[in-house]
Amino acid sequence: MRKDIANLKYVFNPKSIAVVGASDNPAKLGNVILKNLVDGGYEGKIYPVNPKYEKLLGLKCYSDIKRIKGKVDLVIFAVPSTIIPKLAEDCGEKGVRGLVVLSAGFGEVGNFELEEELRRVVLKYDMAMIGPNCLGVMNPAERVDSIFFPFYKFGRPTVGEISLVTQSGAVGSTVADLAAYYDVGFAKFASYGNGATIGDADLIEYLGADPKTKQIIVYLEGTKNGKKLLDVLERVNKKKPIIVLKAGKSKSASEAAMSHTGNLAGNYLAYQAAFRQSKVIEVDSVVDLFYVASIFSQPLPRGARVAVLTDGGGLGVLAADSLEKENMEVVEFSKETKGKLKKVLPPYVNVVNPLDIVADSGTETYQKSLKILMDDPGIDSVVVIILFQAPAVDSRIIDVLVKESDRKKKPIIVVAVGGEYTKENRRILDGYGIPTYGCPKSAVRTLRKFTDYSLFLQNKK
Amino acid sequence: MAKKSAIAEFRMLEKYGIHPLPNGLAKTPKEAVAIAEKIGYPVALKLISPQVTHKTDVGGVKIGIKDKKRLLHAHEDILEGAHKYEVEGILVQKMARKGIELIIGGKKDPQFGHMIVLGIGGVYVEVFKDVTARICPITRTDVREMVGELRSHPLITGIRGMQPINLNALYSLMVRTSKMLVEEDMEELDLNPVIFDSKGYDIVDVRFVK
Repeated sequence: MRKDIANLKYVFNPKSIAVVGASDNPAKLGNVILKNLVDGGYEGKIYPVNPKYEKLLGLKCYSDIKRIKGKVDLVIFAVPSTIIPKLAEDCGEKGVRGLVVLSAGFGEVGNFELEEELRRVVLKYDMAMIGPNCLGVMNPAERVDSIFFPFYKFGRPTVGEISLVTQSGAVGSTVADLAAYYDVGFAKFASYGNGATIGDADLIEYLGADPKTKQIIVYLEGTKNGKKLLDVLERVNKKKPIIVLKAGKSKSASEAAMSHTGNLAGNYLAYQAAFRQSKVIEVDSVVDLFYVASIFSQPLPRGARVAVLTDGGGLGVLAADSLEKENMEVVEFSKETKGKLKKVLPPYVNVVNPLDIVADSGTETYQKSLKILMDDPGIDSVVVIILFQAPAVDSRIIDVLVKESDRKKKPIIVVAVGGEYTKENRRILDGYGIPTYGCPKSAVRTLRKFTDYSLFLQNKK
Repeated sequence: MAKKSAIAEFRMLEKYGIHPLPNGLAKTPKEAVAIAEKIGYPVALKLISPQVTHKTDVGGVKIGIKDKKRLLHAHEDILEGAHKYEVEGILVQKMARKGIELIIGGKKDPQFGHMIVLGIGGVYVEVFKDVTARICPITRTDVREMVGELRSHPLITGIRGMQPINLNALYSLMVRTSKMLVEEDMEELDLNPVIFDSKGYDIVDVRFVK
């Protein structure tokens, strides 16, 4: 691994952070970042840097980086781009190992020379740099946070297993915000922007080796080195699932193409080829990034045989339609399972898959039926549809699901369509590692991708 | 397309064990007859002209020619239709089998390098855009997966009593093409159409840019 990439540990796990451009003006990024580190409970040393102040938020403020007496692992830059290469040189001389450059005004606006100058300095000292033109990093476990969005606007994910690598700060932060809302935790977050020295493939490689990371979400617009990306995707995806969203698919084929193939093969076809070849999980929407990543809190399914348990007939039928469309098997219950179910269900329930235990069934009926489905080795995963609107159903159903989910026999996923009350219950379930979905279609689509990844791992053995 | 003669393109393929339909370029009617007799009737005649890309538009393609008399007639017709253009010669080619038309192509992508494309070929290729790709080099397993990814894959693997195409032949043709794309550092390649049936395939037309 390149030295600067190995130094990413000082970016994600710094013992001390300096914020260059710290300020007491709430409109400035440097203010938000400093405040977030202090309020967020970062336990390492924090050094505000700005010659205009003596003190900020009760912390001693330094006029420049070199004046700081102690060791500085990470420097976050929130100052105009033109002065950054010079300041980066100071960092290098001081022995700083990690930089996060939030500032825009580099290659993305045509200032290639400035970006090149910064790149040279950073590589000269083997510093790990995230950026420029980005949101930077989060590591919830250590409360490391360079995101310049205030806490009340952008929820921070708790500690978890998902790591996210994103070119776009906007996409990355919305996925993280969704995760925070549904109480799904993150291991690491990196928005790399221009990726002047460290880009997509480097971060995926690093997180592939990070023991805290179990799933990797990637948002890409373009890559600088496709061959390297393909190689890293292939290697890492065998160890942990990579979920990718590629933007910029509509860009037309190269105008100069002279063959049929040239015309058909737009910019995206090569990316699609690389994703299919490496067997990473490709999704086509921002929410799917979150959905697919969070389903991995469940055990891997052995196959594509699915049982649907519902207290609302229509939603069960919709789920069955989606399952068929996604080439999943709405499995026929075995004689044994049918017999067991008949014993616990009211006589008017038709014992078929999807199993509609009807709206006046309460928690206990759910519990008994679910246990039978979980014990049947002919079923690979269970989709539980809950009509939280029905009078017989309430939050006690959560205990039932958590208990079954904790046995880790096979995946359980939940579909619950509805408003506030439903959403509140969904959030609690997601917090317990039971993924929930607002419609049968997205649940099934996600389960299909989960199953495909599981089958890929099985074939590999 | 580079101004490569069709003949040179066909020779390049043979180096990699990829065999286009038997053919020859005739400069005169007499040569055309000689080639046809060598490869055997029925044959097709195709106008080769650097100025004509869509041969059918100028009546530059005659198919199913069964004997010498009809060949001379067709030859004359083609030259008449092409009197405005510079003519490199007339390609005499063995008639292709009937079957499923596929397109096999290649392209050098600025990010990923050489990629190989497989799709449903023929006149609807641009309409359905039913294609899938891999980054070179590829293995037979890659090709098997690619076939499954095509929306119209039942056409290839067989529907309703229709026999599947010779998949083994497709696998090795794809692997060889992938090798050629990389070793010859081709910018773009079209084998279109390649007509497959249950026994094998015929490569009808080739174009590439080096």
